[in-house]
Amino acid sequence: MNLFKIFQTPPMDSQLQIVSGVPVFRECTRTELEALRLHLHERKFLAGEIVFDEGEQGEGMYVVISGKLRATRKGLLKKKTLGHIAVGECFGEMALLEAGPRVATVVAEEATTVLAMFRPELVQLAESRPRLGYKIARGVALVMEARLRRIAEGQPEEVAAT
Amino acid sequence: MKDEFPTERSLEHPIIWVAVIAGALGSIILLNAVAWLAFPLVLAIVLYYLVQPLLQRLQLSGVTPNQALGIFLGAATILTLIASVTVLPALFNSLSDLQNQLPEYWARLQSVLHQNLLAIEGRFHFAKKAGLADGLQGQIDQFVAGSGKAYLADSILFLVHWLPSLLLVPFLTFFFLRDGTAFHRLILRAVPNAFFEKTLLLFDRMDGQMRAYFRGMFGLTLLDTVSLGLGLWFLGHGVGVFGFWDAMFLGLVCAVFAWVPYVGSALGGLVAVATCAVKAPSEGGLLVSVVLLFLGVRFLDEFLYTPMTVGRALRMHPLITVMMIFSGGMLGGVYGLLLAMPLIGIFMVLGQMYGEIWFDPRLRARQQARNLLEKRLASKDLEL
Repeated sequence: MNLFKIFQTPPMDSQLQIVSGVPVFRECTRTELEALRLHLHERKFLAGEIVFDEGEQGEGMYVVISGKLRATRKGLLKKKTLGHIAVGECFGEMALLEAGPRVATVVAEEATTVLAMFRPELVQLAESRPRLGYKIARGVALVMEARLRRIAEGQPEEVAAT
Repeated sequence: MKDEFPTERSLEHPIIWVAVIAGALGSIILLNAVAWLAFPLVLAIVLYYLVQPLLQRLQLSGVTPNQALGIFLGAATILTLIASVTVLPALFNSLSDLQNQLPEYWARLQSVLHQNLLAIEGRFHFAKKAGLADGLQGQIDQFVAGSGKAYLADSILFLVHWLPSLLLVPFLTFFFLRDGTAFHRLILRAVPNAFFEKTLLLFDRMDGQMRAYFRGMFGLTLLDTVSLGLGLWFLGHGVGVFGFWDAMFLGLVCAVFAWVPYVGSALGGLVAVATCAVKAPSEGGLLVSVVLLFLGVRFLDEFLYTPMTVGRALRMHPLITVMMIFSGGMLGGVYGLLLAMPLIGIFMVLGQMYGEIWFDPRLRARQQARNLLEKRLASKDLEL
């Protein structure tokens, strides 16, 4: 029996590994991510099922754990596809800051698993762990900043602007 | 043609209001039916909301949630042990003294009542003709000798019945504090995808409502106790009616009575006036001062303390409030009186959110689409 194994940190669970790669959570330590895990809700969507609608009040963000989604927006004549969202990407993060209307509709293209984090729970978490709350808020701000910069430079809008 | 679908409908829909009132009253009946479990459950929920900020403070200093809970439990155990060694014997002595003095107080209260009724008879002829003083005295004697004893025996049996269930309180509170978030997640798993975000919002609003109410009531009770206690002590210590702690205890009793809106405050005032009348029957001025004190604290309650603590979240029309309290009292006794307001607050949020979800055709359509997709997936290879 290898006694040193007792002191080795067990490997991070696979879902949390994906979350740790999402830009919003990139600054969080492992302990913080494990605390965050309690506030992430796993949801499974069937191919063709809508995650949220354009115009609906947003309450939180989603991280894709498996599967693939499509983001669309109403156009003048038909729906315009903004792009696809793959494993390890997040969408709807604007709702973590404020309950505004969703700017796109997101549909699962295949059977998809996501982890959802909601603003009221983030607020609660930030009250007891302000450092973690700050890191997430900063993560969201950085994602927004990058997006605004791209728009200012005339690059196409990104899918995650949901 | 507009292709938008209505997402907001009138939340003042009469069916929802009827459902809110029926839900609150139905819950009172249900809670009363399982009172032995409901009482510790409600107490544990109240304790959960009171202890949660302490744990949050501890977590702010860098400890993990489990460590914070451990520190709190350790401190609570030590405090309970110290209290059981120091405070409890003194409390039992006081209760024993009170028990010895009760017959004397009861006799004095009856005498004060009788004298006042005689004074009324002296002033109003019809009261003398009706034999008000003797009639009421006769009825009191009859009650004490007959159903009063049975009522007391019932009350004692009731106490013996629910006291052991109090042991559940720390147990339930511990698990609420430790596993509250996990339990919350477990319940939310059962919610369909289409309604998930709205349901989460509903949970958050309900949690906020209950947190604000229970913490607010705790703060309000403290403020009422201190105001009434200090006032009673100031008025009564000069004529030797109250010591400091007696006044504070009476203040606490009256503040607890005030948990029942309108009716409770009046009852608390009556208790304080009756106490003064028993302890110092000749001090008429004191009785008037106590009544004025109660009116003053009621005024402070209305315009300063309640907005500072409980807020206006649960404010309803006074008529509905009183009707709910009396209906609650009728259906669920003391539980009903105490729980009518928080329950109607919870059901109001539930009704509001249910209205938002149920009257949103898009959410229902999304749920139906999910069911169809599920059905199609399950029957894919069946060649129907």
